[in-house]
Amino acid sequence: MWKVVDDRELGKIRPASFASHIQSARASSLHLSNRKEFVTAHKGAVNSFQVDLTEKRYLLSGASDGSIAVYDVQHATDYNGGGLVAKHTSLFVVDKRQDFSHKYSVSSVAWYPVDTGLFMTGSLDHYVKVWDTNTVQVEMNFKMPGKVYGIAMSSVSTSHMLIAAVSEDVQVRLCDISSGAFSHTLSGHRDGVWAVQWSTSNEWVLVTGGCDGAIRFWDIRRAGCFRVLDQFQTQFGRRPPLLKSSTKGSVPESSVASTSASAKVKVPQKKAPCGGGAKQSSINKGWTKGSVLQRQHPGMLSSRNRASAHYGAVTGLKVTEDGMYLLSAGTDSRLRLWDIESGRNTLVNYEAMRLQTNKPIQLAVTPDTELVFVPGLTAARAYDIWSGRTILTFRGHYECVNCCWFNSQDQELYTGSNDRQILVWSPDSMVEEEVENNEKGPKRSLDEDCWSD
Amino acid sequence: MATDGGKLSSLIEKATHSTSRELDSSLLNSIKAIVKSSDANVHVTVETLMENMKKNHSQVRYLALLIIDELFMRSKLFRSLLVVNFDGFLGLSTGFRRNMPLPPPASIASILRSKSIELLEKWNDSFGCHYKQIRLGYDYLKNVLRFQFPNLPETAARLRHERREREIRSKEILVNKFENLKSNYSSIKGEIRSTSDEISECFEIISGTNSKDNKFSCDSVDDENAVEESTSLAMRRIRLESLREGMIVHENSDNKAVFDMLRELYKLLTSKHLKTVQDSISVLVRVDASDVRFRDSALKELIDIRNDLQLAKKRCEELGCVAPDDDENRILWEEGKIEVESNENSNLSGEANKDMVYNSYGDESKNDASTSGKESIDEETIVAGDGFGPSSPRQQLLAKAPVMTWGSFLDSWGMVRDVPANQRGMELECHWGRVDYDAVIPAEKIAELNVQMTYYNEQHGEIRPCFAPLKKGGLCQRRDLRVCPFHGPIVPRDVEGNPIIANTSQKHDSIDIGGPSILKTSTKDSDVSFQPSDLETLTAEELAKQAVKNVRTREGKEREKDKNEKRALKRAKLAKVREHNEMVLRQSALASTSQGLGEVMGEDIEALHHTSSEYKEKKQTLASMLRKKVTPRDRLARRLLNAHATEATVRQLTHGEDSNYREAFPNQW
Repeated sequence: MWKVVDDRELGKIRPASFASHIQSARASSLHLSNRKEFVTAHKGAVNSFQVDLTEKRYLLSGASDGSIAVYDVQHATDYNGGGLVAKHTSLFVVDKRQDFSHKYSVSSVAWYPVDTGLFMTGSLDHYVKVWDTNTVQVEMNFKMPGKVYGIAMSSVSTSHMLIAAVSEDVQVRLCDISSGAFSHTLSGHRDGVWAVQWSTSNEWVLVTGGCDGAIRFWDIRRAGCFRVLDQFQTQFGRRPPLLKSSTKGSVPESSVASTSASAKVKVPQKKAPCGGGAKQSSINKGWTKGSVLQRQHPGMLSSRNRASAHYGAVTGLKVTEDGMYLLSAGTDSRLRLWDIESGRNTLVNYEAMRLQTNKPIQLAVTPDTELVFVPGLTAARAYDIWSGRTILTFRGHYECVNCCWFNSQDQELYTGSNDRQILVWSPDSMVEEEVENNEKGPKRSLDEDCWSD
Repeated sequence: MATDGGKLSSLIEKATHSTSRELDSSLLNSIKAIVKSSDANVHVTVETLMENMKKNHSQVRYLALLIIDELFMRSKLFRSLLVVNFDGFLGLSTGFRRNMPLPPPASIASILRSKSIELLEKWNDSFGCHYKQIRLGYDYLKNVLRFQFPNLPETAARLRHERREREIRSKEILVNKFENLKSNYSSIKGEIRSTSDEISECFEIISGTNSKDNKFSCDSVDDENAVEESTSLAMRRIRLESLREGMIVHENSDNKAVFDMLRELYKLLTSKHLKTVQDSISVLVRVDASDVRFRDSALKELIDIRNDLQLAKKRCEELGCVAPDDDENRILWEEGKIEVESNENSNLSGEANKDMVYNSYGDESKNDASTSGKESIDEETIVAGDGFGPSSPRQQLLAKAPVMTWGSFLDSWGMVRDVPANQRGMELECHWGRVDYDAVIPAEKIAELNVQMTYYNEQHGEIRPCFAPLKKGGLCQRRDLRVCPFHGPIVPRDVEGNPIIANTSQKHDSIDIGGPSILKTSTKDSDVSFQPSDLETLTAEELAKQAVKNVRTREGKEREKDKNEKRALKRAKLAKVREHNEMVLRQSALASTSQGLGEVMGEDIEALHHTSSEYKEKKQTLASMLRKKVTPRDRLARRLLNAHATEATVRQLTHGEDSNYREAFPNQW
């Protein structure tokens, strides 16, 4: 560490790389924190949580007992064990005792991306609710056709306030907060949908993963989905050189024709980059055969596409911070990394681990796209995204882990589990240890060897 | 290191593969020593122990858990290694996962579970704040799975709290008592003072009357003294005693009222005042009051008062106005008192009791008791002055009582009765079956056990020389016991060697010798005496011997005659008894139990023994006792063989006995 500081001092490395170096070093040394703990306010499994995107300070969590709680991750409410353990009690809790709260398990929570004045929750009682944080009151209700499994708001949107909500219904709905009504109904999945994510690079693109094993990309400005991921459309490595040239967008036709010649036989419309829908559809027309397809609306063409991303249901999706890659987890206990640009499976072999199959899970990715945190059965794992090797195993929960969240500000990982706990995994801190050594002379003697004989 | 590791794992294997509920301490110590020596060993230990925890046997897991606890409490490294997979460890030790229950031996599995929960609590208490994993495990088991933790520290704290509260409460009570005492102090003191004043007044009255009464007696004693100047020391002591006795006033019609008063006061004193004083003293001692001055002074005063009261109480008891014994004692001794009163008219119960004792002892004629009894009787006769002269029947009885060595058999002297075998106030836990509380040791068995042995003590005396005149002059110096081979029987001779016995027979009436008691007793009916002139030449011992000899020969004759008579008498009696026995036997042949028959036989023998012992001396008694060694069963058998009893009886008897035996000792053969 000190060498890097020295290099930075001498100007050998740039500030950004210095910061990323420190951050990645910290992120790869996470372990169960003894200094910081959340005093869980939940009586049931923690299904989902999110730290707000503006301040990175408030952790919103929803649990299967219908309760919603907000914790301050920066400031501890009290200390325990002689100042050794910082306890973070919830700032407020909404549970079933309030008559406006959710009746059943809260499956998904999300902050309003712009500020912390609002947050959204989706529950198995078919409702999506929008809450005012300051008054802790429900501002808006959206009644969904079935159990809500996931909700999402785009972190990059500037022109819309849409909540994408997926449920056991096959249709994905977009709830418009400004009007209080459903603005879109996206049809395409053949089964309930568990996972939903907005693209982090394009405010119009939505990704959903369903129980039919399909991952669909939607451009909300158009009808129908524009891409279905196929696990057999593969490519090696991070980005094939030909595709790299195609990302420039100047010559899409030629690049598509050359790279995916073999794939086109099975799946005709697979290669268009986002935003190039018009051009693409014209090409597709040439490839489609038969009168049935021709009669359909161009946007509905992909509805016949039965390509699957996973064997079994897709339980979790995560778009990387740079918006170029998509990670998906399925009930086949596989983790796949997709190149969003090309829509191909990158064939990264993540080390075997069993994943939860009866619930959606929430993955987390470090901002520099180095590590992915995957909730396993009782232990979460950190994989190197590109090699698939297990970097860390987070063992501490007593039941299935449901969700992970990486707090990029503090390089801390939070995990929520069926055992009601939210655990904090923090990196080693030299400073903290020094402080501890200085401060707790008498305390330290408690945790020492004591051989009586 | 590698050898250490191998040794360590083998040690752990050995320690965990045992059937006992505890760890072998020596093995544990060696494990600890090795683990302590290096960090690598700690790693090996953790691995080995976790492997053992995975074994499919609760006993192995349990012992491994015990080792883990030992090391966990000691080594920091061990702790930090164990907590890495703490949920796995808890799953193996408590079996909280439904798909991984604890392995087979169900009883040990439950012990394992409770033990691990207890240990988890302990660890959480001591190291919880250092290890999040321990906290998490504890929290999970407690709050999610709702395991019942023993909650030891909390229980201990609660107990401590309760004790403290109790102490505080008792202190409050004490302080309250103290305050009460403080306010009531003067009144209590006044009450007590008035009582003690009354008591002392009573004493004064009594002693006043007493001194008048006593004057006369004292004077008379003095007069006596004047008369008999030459008083022995013993006499003086006796006089003093009697004087002291005289000082003690006895209740009579005159001072009855005073005594009644005194009795009431005494009761008040013992039941109320002494108790209150005692209580207040203890309160004062225990309380830590603010008012130290009052406490000290009151304590001092109270102790003085208590001493006064005790003095008064003692005096009351001395006066005899109150029986010092409590009710229980009185009841216990009631029987004896009645006897005493019927025997004697004395109102001095102590003396009467003494007499009683002497009487009973005198009859039994113990060796020691008789001697000591004699002394006290002498005293008594002088002190009490009533008729216990040497001619009293007691003296006569004493004279002919046998002299026995002391022994426990004297307790049951003269008693012919069965003794309960299992009723001695102790609970007997017999290994060999149930205890028969009704079992008795029959009287004859007791007698048999109490048979006394006597030792023959050889009497060494000087063997006198023959002293027969020799032809060559002088006297024969040969020493023989009875007969000299040359001069015939040895007889007392005079200086010249002439035998003196021939002379003595004619003049036996004329002498009266004051000598040893043994001679004295025999002189009465002795017709042997010596010439005064001969006495000079013979020592007293010789004379005594001669006399004894004479007496013996005569007594022997008498005895022979007596014996013949007795034998005839006895024969007649025996014949009678036999007749009776036969009759009884005939009857008892019908009886089913040997007990009944034995009793019948025993009675006969008793009767026989009784008749003979009336006439015979100790030797005969002992012989009969010895004869009793023939068990009733033998006798029965003999009699049955002789008499007309049938075999059926025997069978019946043995059958009855067997069944009795089986009933009494069901688990014996």
